[in-house]
Amino acid sequence: MNEALLKAEDVSIHFGGLKALSHFNLEIRQGDLKGLIGPNGAGKTTGFNVLTGVYAPSSGSVWVGDERVNGWMPHQINHLGLARTFQNIRLFRALSALDNVRVACRAASSHLHQERLLKVRKEAAFGKLDAKLLEASSNYLDWWRAFFCSPTFQRDEEQIRHQAEELLEVMGLSHRRNEQARNLPYGEQRRLEIARALGTRPRVLLLDEPAAGMNTREKADLMPLIRRLRDQFALGILVIEHDMKLVMGICEQITVLDHGETIAVGSPENVRSNRKVIEAYLGDSYLEGHAGPSAAGPS
Amino acid sequence: MASTALPITSGLPRGLRGVFPFLLAIPVLAALQLAVSERYFLVYIASIIGVNIILAVSLNIVNGMTGQFSIGHAGFMAVGAYLSGKFSLETKQLAISLLPVAVSDQLMFIVALLIGGSCAAICGFIVGLPSLRLKGDYLAIVTLGFGEIIRVIVQNTQAFGRALGLSGIPQRSSFFMVYFWVFVTIVIARRIAASTHGRSLWAIREDEVAAEAMGVNTTGYKVRAFVVSSFFAGVAGGLFAHFVPIINPGSFTFVKSIEVVVMVVAGGLGSTTGAILAAIVLTLLPEAMRSAFVALSGGQASLAQKVDQIRMPIYGILLVLLMLLRPQGLFGTKEIWDVIPRLWSRRRKGLP
Repeated sequence: MNEALLKAEDVSIHFGGLKALSHFNLEIRQGDLKGLIGPNGAGKTTGFNVLTGVYAPSSGSVWVGDERVNGWMPHQINHLGLARTFQNIRLFRALSALDNVRVACRAASSHLHQERLLKVRKEAAFGKLDAKLLEASSNYLDWWRAFFCSPTFQRDEEQIRHQAEELLEVMGLSHRRNEQARNLPYGEQRRLEIARALGTRPRVLLLDEPAAGMNTREKADLMPLIRRLRDQFALGILVIEHDMKLVMGICEQITVLDHGETIAVGSPENVRSNRKVIEAYLGDSYLEGHAGPSAAGPS
Repeated sequence: MASTALPITSGLPRGLRGVFPFLLAIPVLAALQLAVSERYFLVYIASIIGVNIILAVSLNIVNGMTGQFSIGHAGFMAVGAYLSGKFSLETKQLAISLLPVAVSDQLMFIVALLIGGSCAAICGFIVGLPSLRLKGDYLAIVTLGFGEIIRVIVQNTQAFGRALGLSGIPQRSSFFMVYFWVFVTIVIARRIAASTHGRSLWAIREDEVAAEAMGVNTTGYKVRAFVVSSFFAGVAGGLFAHFVPIINPGSFTFVKSIEVVVMVVAGGLGSTTGAILAAIVLTLLPEAMRSAFVALSGGQASLAQKVDQIRMPIYGILLVLLMLLRPQGLFGTKEIWDVIPRLWSRRRKGLP
């Protein structure tokens, strides 16, 4: 029943001679909340980029649902239900908060259509050609609907607007609806990015350092928020984070990377006491006083 | 940026909203047509302005909304002009039976425009598909190359009259027809901007990587924007071919492309209103200069004849000034229909 929504099998990626990530394994199911930590340059974000299709893996395979997505475009992988946020916030800065979310939201009708397309793509009789033709023609049809402002188009627009406003509400950003994204405070920009990712109706959400740049209060609010999102939207969540309190607080399983190698996988307690992890990342000072408030990793 | 529906149309039933602007515009344009029909010079200038508005507004879809830099618009215009002109020339003697000649001519004219527009759109697709994967300067170079290729092909094809161009195309254009298409272009540009497609285009302009990660098929959207844009450039070319006495390759050079780019940039990349305003101003400017010089030199036309030569340096100076004083262009990314309702509601609340 609860099969893996996202699976990385022995994924490696090389840039020339540099092994950015080697033999990386990961599995996310619905309801999972997993963490990915490691020192800077360990390959965490590279891992995200491989999973979301920004880079194709040099070897190994990435599965989303039962599709092997090696070499797929990021938007195709996104349509399968994988959404992400970015380490260095990448909002559409000149667009309003509402429009940022609306870009990601697609009307339900168009979502059904996406599923149909995937099916056709799979069952295509003449290789990829007929699927491509169908996709292209329906894309152009969508534009005609907009040109003529057809009733279907208007219904879709209302639905998109409704969905986007709901998401802003969930993330507590309703009052910022018409403000340009670049004018929002940092913490709200981070939340807006999550709202935008949720707009694509994902089944798996990848958060790249969601707490970076947030103040203590915002960080404290973030933990229950992430848990709530997982339950409310029935997601599997993977978090990259340097804030140990947050990671240890919410993640059920943590993968530790160093120089592209997986050096430990396990529950927060196991990882915390793992000798290799302490050497590579947490540092001895973390062992001595990890209960204290300074228990953050190197930044 | 992406705006909501106009307050006028929001009270209408859904089925009517699509056609409502046209129901309003067609009688107005017809009345204007009656008012200006005898004033040939006015109609001629107005038609040139109209063609330039169509070019600027359509280029704005690619250069402004999507943030891709295309400088081959004159090439698409040439495709539309030559193909629709050739079609009209070949079918000059034909008329649709059972219809009055004038009506049949206008119908044939519309067919010619659609042929011109569609062929330009197909060219847009063929050029866009490989080149829109490129970024920035590379796309500019490819589109520039395309424009030149079209011009050279036309210049060396007997069927298109080589360097002499096509003459004798039936003069079927009218004030009504030109401004009907201007209206169609503006309405469609506006509807794109306010739709989910327009928001995807804005997203591509803002951050391509993020747009792709949010499920926007960036290449697909860019190609579609490019196709729509070239369709209207083709229509503009078709209109142009039916009111100027002769079309030759000299009308569709690189300079024409740059002129359209200047309009879009001056009006504000991403603002349809800005593109319209800049197209009007920059078309009237040479005419105004011409009459001013004629007046200055006491009726001697020697200086006035040089207007076409000194036009470009003046454009240059204007652009430099604009970039220094208002780098986002006249309107930035704002639209007149976004600003007016706000001013209106402010006045009603009694605010300045």
